[in-house]
Amino acid sequence: MAAAAPLPEAAVAAERLTKRYGSLTAVEDLTFSVAPGEVVGFLGPNGAGKSSTMRILAGTMAGTSGRASIWGVSVALDPAGAKRHMAYMPENNPLPEDLKVEEYLTLRARLKDVPADLVAQRVAKVMDDCDLARRAARQLIGQLSKGFRQRVGIADALLAEPKVVILDEPTIGLDPHQIVGIRDLIRSLRGKMAVLISSHILHEVEQVCDKVVIINRGRLVAQGRTEDLRRELIPTANFTVVARVDLARLTQSVVTAEPAALLETLASADGWTRYRIALPAASPARESLATVLIAAGFPLREIAEERIGLEDIFIAATRRTPADLRRP
Amino acid sequence: MRHFRTLLAHELRTAALAWSTWASAALFLGLMGALHWFAVLDAAEVAQASSPMEATYQLFWVPLLCVLPLLTMRSFAEERRQGTLAALLTTPASPAAVVWAKFVSVWLTWLGFWLAFTAFPLLVTQRLGSAGDQRLGDPIVLWGGLAFIAVSGLMHVALGILCSCLTRSSALAALLTFVGLLAFTAAGGALEKLPIESWEWLGWLREPAAHLRTFSHMEDFTRGILDARPFVLYASGMLLCLGLAVLTVEGQE
Repeated sequence: MAAAAPLPEAAVAAERLTKRYGSLTAVEDLTFSVAPGEVVGFLGPNGAGKSSTMRILAGTMAGTSGRASIWGVSVALDPAGAKRHMAYMPENNPLPEDLKVEEYLTLRARLKDVPADLVAQRVAKVMDDCDLARRAARQLIGQLSKGFRQRVGIADALLAEPKVVILDEPTIGLDPHQIVGIRDLIRSLRGKMAVLISSHILHEVEQVCDKVVIINRGRLVAQGRTEDLRRELIPTANFTVVARVDLARLTQSVVTAEPAALLETLASADGWTRYRIALPAASPARESLATVLIAAGFPLREIAEERIGLEDIFIAATRRTPADLRRP
Repeated sequence: MRHFRTLLAHELRTAALAWSTWASAALFLGLMGALHWFAVLDAAEVAQASSPMEATYQLFWVPLLCVLPLLTMRSFAEERRQGTLAALLTTPASPAAVVWAKFVSVWLTWLGFWLAFTAFPLLVTQRLGSAGDQRLGDPIVLWGGLAFIAVSGLMHVALGILCSCLTRSSALAALLTFVGLLAFTAAGGALEKLPIESWEWLGWLREPAAHLRTFSHMEDFTRGILDARPFVLYASGMLLCLGLAVLTVEGQE
């Protein structure tokens, strides 16, 4: 029995990738990687260079400098070899209007070197996985709704069971039910394929991805697991407290637990005041704040730690200045 | 080129189902039917030096300029406009395989049109029987002319494919093809009209100009004269155009 080929360190690797369009630099010195089987969110504001980066990785556009590789194969030096390991669904998901879904997927399977005796089986499987088999298989692609067209694009990406799947905005234009379906589908790929996915729906990315790569103006501003980025980019833990007490007395109690705490009044109504208390993320007072407030004997109606989501991380990361990025 | 056969089958199928192919076929057959009809009528009125079939083939440039651009214009321009070419190139299929598949598909379609046209002279011959001009169904003229169309078509179609690669607009691609084909077809005749003999500094042009005479090639073929030089000219022109087309597609990647 032949030994399985060793896994490369990175399924997708971008090393100092740069792309210039004349005087405009779309991607600059971008370095990141995606491990085999990992699902990575690729985020950035509009015009940040996400699609350019994905197109370079997919081999549909040449970079100006730097290296891009898929499963250890250089995209520039061996494009056909890299494409054999990878599937790419571009942002607007262009599809031929005059083919039926099944015909299109069969053609794509043949072009993607799926063994002839497995083509029908694979086409049936991806149509089933993407919920195309019952309602869309025999329909012309030109007659499909946006949601079904997106599914055809994703089915195409999964056809040859590639090691790497690059999806540029796969949930754009989908309704919430379809988004959930696509999310479950992508989640099911974890561990089987490396997935690089760009999306503006940060809540979806947070639920699906193992880590995120955030770029802004073509430059990497943050990458890592959401938890790590939260610690790195948002150094405070915010609590909301609703109590019948004035700010001075509340401050006096809180600073006994954490001298660096910052308090602000948010709103008042019916004698109750809503405060925000910001503590350093690493402060032990995060765990003792509730005890301290109860011990102080204030009438207390609510205390909650504000959830810091990917949206906050994204905003913090994309506000970073070049000086912040140079800091070790 | 491993994916050539898959791509060719797809292109032929797409061409067979496209309304534009059938509209082009109708235009071609209408045009050629009319041209052949007038050639037969002329021959019926006054004795002509050339047979109706030869006279019709002399007008090969009419469908070449009017119909062939319609066949080649969509091949790349439309795919580039829709973005499906970029999607196609995300597969392991090489740009060369894509270009060759599109080229062979259009070339076969073009030959199919001309093969369909042969029904006209065959019908006329059958209808007139032994009473007609014996040159009407001359197989040398008929098949020699078709051989010329097949050989020259290599370069003509390749030129159309190259023009289609250069733009996202099918209309502009058709216009570029029209101008390119007109320039190439007229080049031999135009050079012939120039007094090259009297311009010493243009003496070097004499030999190449002689090779570019498309109409002479057509006459040779319809007389059953098979010269290697037109083969070399059209085959090398085809390779040049397709090579440039592959580079253009690769450049768009």
